[in-house]
Amino acid sequence: MSDFGVIAETFLGASVEWVEAFTIVLAVSLTIGWRRAAAAAAAALSVLAVMTLFSTVLLSLIADLAWLQGIIGLFLVLFGVRWLGKSIARAAGLKALHDELAEFAALRASPAAADHRAAWLLAFNGTLLEGLEVWLIVIALGVQTHHTDISAAAALAALLTVIAAGAILHRPLARVPENAIKFLVGGVVLSFGTFWLLAALGYAWPLGEEALPLLAAFYLLGALGLVALLKTQPRPAGARR
Amino acid sequence: MNALFKTLFGSLRTLVVTGLSLLLALLALHSPIPALAGLVLPVALLASVYHLARH
Repeated sequence: MSDFGVIAETFLGASVEWVEAFTIVLAVSLTIGWRRAAAAAAAALSVLAVMTLFSTVLLSLIADLAWLQGIIGLFLVLFGVRWLGKSIARAAGLKALHDELAEFAALRASPAAADHRAAWLLAFNGTLLEGLEVWLIVIALGVQTHHTDISAAAALAALLTVIAAGAILHRPLARVPENAIKFLVGGVVLSFGTFWLLAALGYAWPLGEEALPLLAAFYLLGALGLVALLKTQPRPAGARR
Repeated sequence: MNALFKTLFGSLRTLVVTGLSLLLALLALHSPIPALAGLVLPVALLASVYHLARH
């Protein structure tokens, strides 16, 4: 995978997560002030930074590449099927699109936002949980391609971009095409997961790494087909709006 | 803790459909035509995505 691929993939995936974290921190800041809300987010980001450093060192000690590929591939597959499935459901109208403004209003109305200690924890946990997915992307794409520094820098750039946009707008970043980004990143991440997982199990891909764009095309075109298919089908009983 | 598990591994449904896809790929890999595994896993995972999208 090229450096550009690592940067683009990490930046896009991280942006979606940071936007969601920003909405939480912004909602909380109206109760406890922006300094305390930012401190809670910074504490969570520090935990993520330590986790990234620790896991990079730990994974670099693993000499068996197939084992490493298998673990990372499995995580990427689990992550990719989730993101792609969710974005297909949203694109097909089976699930409501993620609405940052509605999320912001719900957070403002929640009892936790009114209590100072609970609000601080809300900002901390929100940033940490959204950031965990960023950590996963940074580690999975970074370690495998020996570019953890580049993927971590891309995630940091995404964070700074979201903070800058948020500071300028002073409101939730509702116009980010989150579903389209999740669709694209989900498809590409699933391609990498499939490639590495099967390679770890001993499968020799006939085209080598050239199979990756074909896998991505298969998943993305297949997902577009599924969106079209699901739009024509009656809504299942358990489907959420 | 629950949220952490869900963030890293997804729901039980995600684990089950991914596990089944992997099982199919392993069976294909140990079949007389192991090259099939490269087709079986992507198709099974796309079917998993469809299932997750519907539920």
